[in-house]
Order: sequence, then structure tokens, then C-alpha cells
Amino acid sequence: MNEATSVLSVMGYATELPWLWAGLTAYVLATLIAVMGMMRIRIGATTVGTMTQASPRAHEKFVLLMVVLGVALLTVAIAERWMRLGHGPFVNLFELLMSQLWSLGLVFAVVYWRVPLLRPSAVVALPMMWVLGGWVLALQPVDTALPPTYHNDWLWAHVGLGKFFLAFCLVGTGLAGVILLRNTQRFAAWFRHVPADAVLDALAWRFMLLAFIFHSLMLTAGAVWAQDAWGRYWAWDALETSSFLNWLMLGASIHARLTYRIPIRVGAIAIIGVFVFAFITYFGTPFYSTAAHKGVI
Amino acid sequence: MIRALGSIRLALVGMLLLAIGAALSYDNPVDTPVWVLVAPLAFLAVNLLAAIATNPRINRRGGLLVFHLGLLAIIVLAGIGRLTHLDAQLEITEGTAFSPSDLTHMAKGPWHSGALEQLAFVQGSFTVDYSPGMVRGLTHSTVLLPDDRQGWQTKVVGDDRPLILEGYRFYTTFNKGFAPVLTWTPDGGGEALSGTIHMPSYPLFEYKQDSSWTPPNEKGGGKEIKFWLRLKTGLREDAAWVLDGKTATGVLVVNVDDRRVELEPGQSVHVPGGVLRYERLTTWMGYKVFYDPTLHWLFGAAIMAVLGLGTHFWRKSGASLQIAPARVKDAPEVPRASSPDTAAGRSV
Repeated sequence: MNEATSVLSVMGYATELPWLWAGLTAYVLATLIAVMGMMRIRIGATTVGTMTQASPRAHEKFVLLMVVLGVALLTVAIAERWMRLGHGPFVNLFELLMSQLWSLGLVFAVVYWRVPLLRPSAVVALPMMWVLGGWVLALQPVDTALPPTYHNDWLWAHVGLGKFFLAFCLVGTGLAGVILLRNTQRFAAWFRHVPADAVLDALAWRFMLLAFIFHSLMLTAGAVWAQDAWGRYWAWDALETSSFLNWLMLGASIHARLTYRIPIRVGAIAIIGVFVFAFITYFGTPFYSTAAHKGVI
Repeated sequence: MIRALGSIRLALVGMLLLAIGAALSYDNPVDTPVWVLVAPLAFLAVNLLAAIATNPRINRRGGLLVFHLGLLAIIVLAGIGRLTHLDAQLEITEGTAFSPSDLTHMAKGPWHSGALEQLAFVQGSFTVDYSPGMVRGLTHSTVLLPDDRQGWQTKVVGDDRPLILEGYRFYTTFNKGFAPVLTWTPDGGGEALSGTIHMPSYPLFEYKQDSSWTPPNEKGGGKEIKFWLRLKTGLREDAAWVLDGKTATGVLVVNVDDRRVELEPGQSVHVPGGVLRYERLTTWMGYKVFYDPTLHWLFGAAIMAVLGLGTHFWRKSGASLQIAPARVKDAPEVPRASSPDTAAGRSV
């Protein structure tokens, strides 16, 4: 790469990075407001003695507003990069992380808005975005070219369905986190007015079943894409093996919950385990496989 | 007995075995037997069949029944697919007709009974787009197919648009290159031979466009001829570029014994045993060939399974996701789950 090309590239990066930073800042603010909302209950309960002014619901609309703002800003960041490179965020880890931050925020915002019961879980779910956010900012936003096998409509279906899977896993994990945290001395007061563990547990597993449905669809769409792209629908490559193990893990967890009356907290740990495995599948595969999908280049 | 075979506990055992088999199958290691997958899948198929037949939580719930039938169908179809499949590679020269004998690296199931001999197409020219930095883009490979009027129709395939003939799918690959067309006329007036030499994949092995050939010799022990192809293709690493065999030219460097001769198309050289003529430069395309008659059925079974699960979810949970919390200031202290048993009646 000569000097002129290098300068042009750096100028190109600058167009999406400010929007990315702004979007992540909105997510951070959403998290802080959510935490403040939960903490104010504790403060109100101990010093004022009433919860009327300390209701976390007063914070909820600001949390939602910040998440929606974050999604909007990330939309601009993705659009900037898309217009510059001429293709969607499908190729390298920087693009995958950026698009996941967008889709996780979008789905979480919709669920947060439509299912008020899970709003306290924002203090668990939103910090997970920080991990992705910190990671994406640590990466070089290197320009990418779309491989020839990515010019396929099934790629969109595969990626889109996978985003729903991970987002619903995040929602379930947020609820599972509340179940675990409320049983610790430090955080018990934060969640004292949240419905019983059994209610959260049931809701969390419903989202995990929803995640299971989208995971199944993602595998199906991915198999069709792989058949078109590489002439085989399954080849046990790094991502295929890992995602299939993740599907089995989630399926087995659902069956185990139905069969054995596993304690709620153990079920919550299982949900978090599924999410962690999914996280490793999505973002860890590049570290142990040079080509995530066999023949991708 | 059948009820026991269909228990969820056995399903969990089967899933665990399948997970182990899947982990062992990562990247298809040659020393891992196929049984690490076949055994747990067969075990799960029996378990599924028994569960569908005996478990009222499955066979009395339409959505779950369809889901489990779909899973069973996927296992059976995947098995049939492996028994009837064919995988192979093909290198075919521009202007030549497909012949099953050209297939290499062939692997097929014991029940494969396809119609390979009936496949007919002629390879045409191709182009491949490259972005700056030598990043491969789209491939456009032209093939000629016989039509109903004893003529040929043209079709362009490439990448995710395979050539599909009688269920056989021909996918273009990164593997493609140049091929000098040569004619060998032996000394003494024997019958002349014509053929091509496939040079290594281009531009992957742009730096190594060499090969060798030993002409037939009635007395045996023909001299090996070494070739090196010096190409002019317009290749550029810093700009967009199109690989096109029609515009490429090449000088064929022939080495035999200690002699080195450069041939332009149409030129000949006398070497020990005969005359070698470099007729022209052409190209070859590498294809991956795949056949599995269950593909569409597998897709149908997978969609059926997911639709069944979706229906079950919608009936069980769709409405109850809309639970709204009581207003905080009015909310009574909600009893906390004191033991796992408070989660009675679990369903997802």
C-alpha cells in the first residue's frame, strides 16, 4: 500500500468511527441510568422510607431512549462504512462486532419496550454490550472486500436469524443474571421489587426457546447458503461445529429443565453457559481457525 | 420398553454422545471414524421414534409432534444422503466436453446410482474479477449445453450459481488456470498427438507456471520435457483487474536436456523423439462436483421442524410474554422463590 492509499484509507475510517463512539456512549449512558434506577430504590428505601420517588420506572424511559439513540447512531456508523466499502458488515471481526452491537441493541430495545417485566435485567444485559464495545474500539477498522460467495441472499437470512438468536440469548441471560444477583447480599436490595425467581425463570426460558427456534432457522439458512457457496451444506468447519454444539447445548438444557426439576439458580447458570458458548462461537472462532467457514475466501 | 426407549433421559444421553461425535469430527480429521456420528444419530433416531409413539407430551401437541417428526426426518434423510452422495473434483479445458473419466478425488456412497454418463456440457471461456490487493471477486464461467434442436445453448455459472445437471451440481472454484495446446509428431511419421498441459492454478501460483511431460516412445524411456509459461495477463496487484483467457498471451519456454527454446503460438521445436508444436494458449476451470438427492427434502424437513416448534412456542408462550408488572408503588411484596419446587408446572 503506498502512502496516498494509506492516507485515503485513514480518512475513510474517520467517517464511521465518530458515530460508533457516539453509539457506544449512548449504550454506556443507558447502562448508568439503569443502574441508577436500581440503586435509587435502595437509597429511597433506607433513607426516605418511601418508594414513590425512588421508582425505577422513572428511569426506564430514559434507558429506552438511550438504547434507541445508540441503535440510531450505530445505524449511521454502519451506513457510513457500507457506503464507503459497498457491502454490508459481514466480513471481518470489526464489522461483525459493530453489527452485533447494533442488532443486540435493537432487539433489546424492542423487548425492553414490549415486555416491562424484564426491564430490571437491563443492568445485567447492557454491560455485556460494553465487552463488545470495548473490543470493537480496540480493533483496526480495516477495509474489506466481499468474498464472491457472499453475494447470496441466504447470507442475509443466515446472519439476520443468527442476530435474533444471540439477542434472545442476551435477554434470557439478563434475566438469569437478575436471578443470580438478587440472591447475593450485595445486590439483593436492587431487585427486591422484581417478581419472584420462578416468574423470571419462566420468562427467561421462554426467550431461550425463542432463541432455540432462531438458532434452528440460522443453521438451516446457513446450510442452504453453504450449499450454494461452497457446494456442501455441512462440513464440520469451525463455525459449523461450534454452532451445532451450541444448538445441542441449548436443546439439552431445555430438555433437562423439563425432565429434572433443576434448581432455578442452576437453570440460570445453564442459560448463561449457553450465552457464553454462543459468544465464543460468534467472536472466538477467528482465534482458533484461520477461516471461520471453510472455503470462505 | 418402548416408553423407556423414548425417555428424555436417553435423549440427553444421545445428545451428549452426538456432541462428543461432533467435537471429534471438527475439521473432518481422517483418523476419526464416521461411527462417532452415525452411532449417536441412530440412537437418537430410535429415541425420537419411541418418544413420538409413546410420549403424550409430544404426540398430543401438534407443534411438538411436527418438530420431532422433522428432526427424525432430518436424521433419516441425512443418512440416505450420505449413502447416495457423490463428491468429486474436475479440471476441464476450455472447448472440451465433460467426461466422467475426468473426475478426480471422487468419493461416493454405496447406493449412488446417478446418471453421470448422461451429463453433457462443453466448457467455454471464463472471467474472474479481482479487487485491488488480489482479492478474488465473481467468477463468470460460460458453459455450452445441448438444446432440443441439436444445437447448443450458452449458460453462465460461477460461485454460488452452480451448473445443475440431473441433480449433479458443478461449482466453480478458485482453482483455474492456463493450458498450452500442444501437438506432438513423433519422428518416423507416427500418428500425431494433440492435448493440453494444465499449468498450476492462476494467479495463486503466478510465480510457478511450470509443468513437464514425457512424450511416448515406442522404444521406451522418452525424454522428459519441462515447460514454463511466461504469461501476459494484465495482472495488477494494486488495482482492480479481470482475469480473462481471451486477452491473455503466453510464451512457452521448453527445456529438454540442456536446450532452452521459447515458442510463440504456432511455432515448433524438434526435440529428441519428435516435433513439439505450441498451437495456442487456452484455459482450464476447476469445478467441485456434488450430488445428493435429498437436498430439497432436507430443507423441507428442517423448515417443517422449525414451523412445528414455532407453533408450539406461539401456543404456549406467545401471549404470556406480554406480562406487565404491577405498578411499583402499589405492588405487594411478591413472594420470592424459596425452593426450586415453586417453579412447578414448567414448560417452555
